[in-house]
Amino acid sequence: MPVVGLVELVAHVAQTRPAAADADWNAARDYVAAHAKPEDLVAFAPRWADPLGRMHFGPALAAIEREARADETRFPRALEVSIRGAHLPAFGGWRRAGERSFGGVTVTTWENPEPAHVLSDLVSMIDPQHARVTRGDADCTFVHGAPSSGGLGFGLAIPGDRFACPGGAFVGMSVVPDLDYLPHRCVYAPPTGGQTTRIRFLDVRFGASLHGHHALYVEAERDRRGAPVALTFRSGDTLLGTVEHKDGDGWKPFELDTGALAGQHGELLVEVGSSGDRRMYCFEADTR
Amino acid sequence: MKLALPSPRLPAAVGWRDHAIGASMALAYVGWLLTGARALGFPRDEGVYFRAGADYIRWYRTLFERGADALHQGTIDSMWGMNHEHPALMKTLFGASWFLFHEKWHVFSDASTAFRLPGMAMGGLALWVTYLFGARAFSRTAGAIAAVLLALMPRVFFHAHLACFDVPIMTMWTLCVYVHWRAQERRSLGWAIAAGIVYGLTLETKHNAWMLPAVLVPHALFVHRHAILRGLRAGRLAIPSSLVSMAILGPAVFLSLWPYLWNDTLGRVQWYVNFHLNHEYYNIEYLGRNYFGPPSPKSDVPVMILATVPTVTIALFLVGVFERARASGRRLWAWVRRELRCNVPDPPARDPRETDLLLALSFAVAVGPFFLSKTPIFGATKHWLPAYPVLALIAGRGFELVRGAMHRALPDLDPRRRLAANVALVVCVVAAPLAVTWHSHPFGLSTYVPLVGGTAGGADLGLNRQFWGYTTQSAAAEYLNIKAPRGAGVFILDTTWDAWARMQEEGRVRSDLRAVGAPSDGLFALVQHELHMNEVDYDIWIADGTDAPAYVVTHDGVPIVSVYKKP
Repeated sequence: MPVVGLVELVAHVAQTRPAAADADWNAARDYVAAHAKPEDLVAFAPRWADPLGRMHFGPALAAIEREARADETRFPRALEVSIRGAHLPAFGGWRRAGERSFGGVTVTTWENPEPAHVLSDLVSMIDPQHARVTRGDADCTFVHGAPSSGGLGFGLAIPGDRFACPGGAFVGMSVVPDLDYLPHRCVYAPPTGGQTTRIRFLDVRFGASLHGHHALYVEAERDRRGAPVALTFRSGDTLLGTVEHKDGDGWKPFELDTGALAGQHGELLVEVGSSGDRRMYCFEADTR
Repeated sequence: MKLALPSPRLPAAVGWRDHAIGASMALAYVGWLLTGARALGFPRDEGVYFRAGADYIRWYRTLFERGADALHQGTIDSMWGMNHEHPALMKTLFGASWFLFHEKWHVFSDASTAFRLPGMAMGGLALWVTYLFGARAFSRTAGAIAAVLLALMPRVFFHAHLACFDVPIMTMWTLCVYVHWRAQERRSLGWAIAAGIVYGLTLETKHNAWMLPAVLVPHALFVHRHAILRGLRAGRLAIPSSLVSMAILGPAVFLSLWPYLWNDTLGRVQWYVNFHLNHEYYNIEYLGRNYFGPPSPKSDVPVMILATVPTVTIALFLVGVFERARASGRRLWAWVRRELRCNVPDPPARDPRETDLLLALSFAVAVGPFFLSKTPIFGATKHWLPAYPVLALIAGRGFELVRGAMHRALPDLDPRRRLAANVALVVCVVAAPLAVTWHSHPFGLSTYVPLVGGTAGGADLGLNRQFWGYTTQSAAAEYLNIKAPRGAGVFILDTTWDAWARMQEEGRVRSDLRAVGAPSDGLFALVQHELHMNEVDYDIWIADGTDAPAYVVTHDGVPIVSVYKKP
């Protein structure tokens, strides 16, 4: 019994020392800054260390595009910054290309064996240069306002830069917390009043497929009481496909075959509709 | 002439000296709690109880100053209406302490410390009762170790700081069980009346008391089974006097101390009962998943106990459980053989108080509801704190057994060395719980024991890191008070306006800083890290245009509060 007490005491002393000093984080940041390419993923492990990683690495390296990624498929390489020997499960099938330690912080370089080549990213195109939005028969104008946010239960933050539609509807880039409270950058397009919102992406490069995900704000879908949301993709007169999100689906992936359009440029029409009202719906998609 | 020093040996019988020992432990604990009070911010619930306590005392002052006026329903409802989903005893004590020790006598400069004092005193009383219980049930050593191990549970230590009901109900539950136990032993009218009054006070502390009959009734019936059976054969029902007292005095004390129930009594009692039978499910993270409602995970109680109670305490508890279970098993086997008319030459001695049964019932009933899938689990461990004094008592018994084993293993030690071995054993057993508990403050809810890897291990497992938004004070102390420009707005998320205002009033947060209701409305935004707070975290990214916090409050390297500053 005394051994149990003493082991517990020694373990306590060892565990109460932070896994990494500020200097370790900063050295790791400098290394990552020197080695990360724009198309690389920078990620932190374990997940709970994410705020520390973002604080030390800053918004350029720990960018929202990386932090709130849809998935890891598009990244050819990942620099995983970890403490306590943790690794993200997403890199399970990736090739370990290197590892550098900076005190308590380890930077592991992972190579994606099959990175997807993204041609057009719809979330990055939700601006007046690349998209037009209508709701019902009315045009939605692009505005530069102040973002709106609130406390728990507010829903996704409403971006300052957005397409504002008559009746209070809007479309813009935001970050959705999924059912596991993970962040995903997406096009926030809440269907309201039973009317369909149409987003016309003006110049999309098509590839073999249209790859995407969609979800509702966690509080909106966890009770599984809302109406489903349908997301339809068209190019010209061609219906590429419709995917439906039901409450409880979470961050749901979808993939549509666009092989017939591969190599072409053109408009992509996205329709968001639901019989429910004020569904806090968000989607992301890219062509690849 | 030789001066004879008084012998330090205590008489065999537990008596007033033991009360002095218990009281000393209680006072020392309250002193320790008081030293840490200012480091601990204000959880959501506390703000409500502060206000309710002040209101209740206002009614007592009205009663003393204006007599019958205070008894009008309008007056009662206006002053007792606040937070009528919980009984009045503790809030009345919070308010009385505030009025006397802060407002009138200025003993405490912080009003909050005065409000919190009765809760701390309840923490101390828990040690006192646990010591006495252990001393009478097992030995003084067992009682003392039990009290110390109870004090050195990080979650007990955290909650004992607060003007809330969780430690008070732990204490009153234990006191009620203890007085009931003494009443079965002494069988006097005085102890029976005491049992009734204490049960009433327990009812008046928190609704966990509704479950106590499931502990006390079967125990009393078992203790008195022979008398009851004899009575039944004679055509009369002999109910133990303590139970009668509890049935009569309990509700009487409960009603008399809660003026809100004096009008529309039945309707209001019904509302109170229904409120708790249909309590809202607040959310909590457990093993990486946020639970918003039933079914609650059945592993919650054992996992959380293992993850938050020091392991050496659990180990001693298991030693004690094994020994007590073996003794009970032997007794049961002897009974079976006797019933089967087998020869039982030497039946084990019987404890007429049936202590093992009482402790087992007390523990089982305190944790039992949390194995039901419909019981909310949002309180982490705080809702089953009444089980912990029993856990500590059995651990105290376990310590006694380990000490006995040590003496048998080292039979030739001279008295001086034996004393040194005893002291070393106590140090080995107490050092880790003391270190973990000491280090946990003020992040008691984030603290997990070394068995699961400490605070970081708890985070790895996806166990809840905090609730109630009380860590905002740490963000102020470490960053906002130093770095924020004058008059800056701060989005305080899970912290209540009441708590923020009190922190400012008491100089814990700079008085020029303004609390705001949305991330976009202030220069700073706080995120107290709980899984479901992530949704606000991401909103801040959009509102501020950056996902990088300016500062992160940590405990053992684990994020507790992120502080965002608009670029």
